[in-house]
Amino acid sequence: MSEVNSLKESRKENFSKNFNRFKQSKIGMTGLVIVVLFGVLALLQPLLFLSGIWDYKTYDPVVGYDAEKYIAEVVVCPDEYPNERYSERKDCPGRNEVTLISVKPYNPGIKEGDTIDRFRQPAEPSGKHILGTDSLGRDVFSQIMEGSQVAFILGLLSATLSVVISTILGSIAAYFGGFIDSYLMRQSDLLLMLPSLPLLFIISAFTELQVWHLALVLGTLGGLGGSVITIKSQALQVKVKPFVDSARITGGSRMNILFSHILPNVAPLALLFMVFGVTGAIASESVLSFLGLLNIDMSWGLMISVSQADGYINQGLTYWWLVIPAGLSVTLLAGGFYLVGRGLDDVFNPRLRKR
Amino acid sequence: MAKYVLSRFFQMGLVFLLFLVLSYILFDAIPGNAFQSLLLNPSLPDYAYDQVVELYGLNEPLLTRIQNYVINFFKGDFGYSYLQFPKTPIDLIAERLPRTLMLFSIVNIFSFYSGFFVGKVLAWRRGSKSETWITITSVFSYTIFYPWFALIMLWFFGLKLNWLPIGKFLYPEKWYDAPFDSDVVFIEMIKYTLYFSLLFFLINIFTRNIESISKRRNIRIIGFASLLVLSIIYWNFGKLEEMKTYAGDIAYHMILPIITVTIVAFAGTALLTRTTMMEVLKEDYILTARAKGISQKRIRDRHAARTALLPVVTSFIFTIVTIIDGAVLTENIFSWPGMGQLILDSVLREDIPVAMASFSFIGITALVAHFIADISYAFLDPRIRIKSQG
Repeated sequence: MSEVNSLKESRKENFSKNFNRFKQSKIGMTGLVIVVLFGVLALLQPLLFLSGIWDYKTYDPVVGYDAEKYIAEVVVCPDEYPNERYSERKDCPGRNEVTLISVKPYNPGIKEGDTIDRFRQPAEPSGKHILGTDSLGRDVFSQIMEGSQVAFILGLLSATLSVVISTILGSIAAYFGGFIDSYLMRQSDLLLMLPSLPLLFIISAFTELQVWHLALVLGTLGGLGGSVITIKSQALQVKVKPFVDSARITGGSRMNILFSHILPNVAPLALLFMVFGVTGAIASESVLSFLGLLNIDMSWGLMISVSQADGYINQGLTYWWLVIPAGLSVTLLAGGFYLVGRGLDDVFNPRLRKR
Repeated sequence: MAKYVLSRFFQMGLVFLLFLVLSYILFDAIPGNAFQSLLLNPSLPDYAYDQVVELYGLNEPLLTRIQNYVINFFKGDFGYSYLQFPKTPIDLIAERLPRTLMLFSIVNIFSFYSGFFVGKVLAWRRGSKSETWITITSVFSYTIFYPWFALIMLWFFGLKLNWLPIGKFLYPEKWYDAPFDSDVVFIEMIKYTLYFSLLFFLINIFTRNIESISKRRNIRIIGFASLLVLSIIYWNFGKLEEMKTYAGDIAYHMILPIITVTIVAFAGTALLTRTTMMEVLKEDYILTARAKGISQKRIRDRHAARTALLPVVTSFIFTIVTIIDGAVLTENIFSWPGMGQLILDSVLREDIPVAMASFSFIGITALVAHFIADISYAFLDPRIRIKSQG
């Protein structure tokens, strides 16, 4: 019993030592802060809903609706610019104004100078909606939170899957060699030959891709593809180390050598792959949902897709809350994971440690 | 060695066959086919659709079609495009491929040089504040959400500043009475770019052994200036003079995609160079060079950077394979009519012969690149033993 405890303690010590080492890397810490920040965002949304601070009717990222009511003055845009009221054509109708042509069909008898109740959609950021609402009156901040949940689930799931597959297969290929090795290498060649984006297009054409389907597909493709080759070359270097030979001489079985000697020595590299894999998965998901190929309720890519379809991206910074937050979130979270990976690599890769 | 190469060739053939079959099955699995729009046309008789499907042999069972396709493929017959009938897939690829290669070769050269330079400096300044910040910035430019970034660039340079065109290959209104085909002009542009980069490369190679740094830099600047003068003469000579304005139009449309992709792509090279250079800087010969009292800049540029170049060049070779794959998104956003658009169109509209031909083009490139990489690794790294590779 005490042995187990001491083992646990030494593990704890080891962990804190490693974490202290990781803390030296500013790059890694920056990444970690970003990832944790988005993690908090992802967890905060269900808490806000459950505690009743947010109600589903207003703040639901997919079906919520809230619109700011305001009283608009009906105007007719003059033909010549600049005039005393507007300096450019695009200034008319201004804020709290609406053109006569656009309301006349629904309100017969209305004339210039009247006032009319209107709803502002998309509404700009206010105290109630921190990042405003989108063109359908949904809260953007809530959508960002939902998007970060999707990104975390998808990124971690697919990266874990791909790393587990590639580590096991790569070690097997290196250890057994021969036919198994050739088969696995040619299989990853085959998958690397297929262009990835068109392939995902085809897959999304004959199945409805949900988040976890996509995680499975990306994880399997990534796991069977390029990373097997890299893990295998690493495992080949481990295989020729003396301790593997001595394990064999002392009578270790093949499985024993594979799982308790080769795999643990490949694991650090595999962990690194996993961190970088998260970056790739988040990017792929965003691109696919940007192109509208995923059967998904809400994600960062979809938010960009909606604001592009409605033409808000082409208006630049006028509707910044529809353009900037979603794209920046994808960039930051993917970059955050990548920075964590770089930091880990700088600190734990013995060939990169400081002089 | 010969046995290994031979068995690899055999395996490659097998993999390629499997690749063809798998891609065909994938395309077939997409619901519907390329001719379904005929069903929606009320002015066509009922049997028109069946007739066309029978004409193209799409009513036959999948196995027969795969068999036919594979046999014809190895005979060198790739069929006809379903949707652009008289053209063969080879015609279409020959038309589109130069555009993609031109655009992305320029991007790759720019991003390679700038990335290598930035990475070199980053590794050298390891631990400093500027290193941290530049690394973080380049990571974000590497992971930036690409379509979003491209759209914002389009908005900023195309709509707000109105400096550059919004996508497309050329302004059609300028080409109404053009005496040339745009492809002819484009091929002249490719030739010119090749000559220019070759001469530029030669200047760099011949000046690299000049000892004094300032002298070397001056000679390079003079060389570059004389290249510019030469190219002005080149474009004002013979029939190229008439093409000048049209070539300028195409080049004008290339600026924005090149800038956008370079910003995203350079960071990858920079980060890779940073890592390899950090490894190199720990080697003993760097310490020796320091002990000898060689200047810091010289150690960085001559001793460390040249060794670090090798893995970066290897990865550069691999990026050439991924060019077409990566082109899909870029060409879609910038409406650049290249390979990426061709693949996207043919996959979405199920133009199977074109899609198969372009897939197999990518597949062959990838196979050959992996083969070369494997062989060169086996030569370069004695730790990876040929025997254990099977």
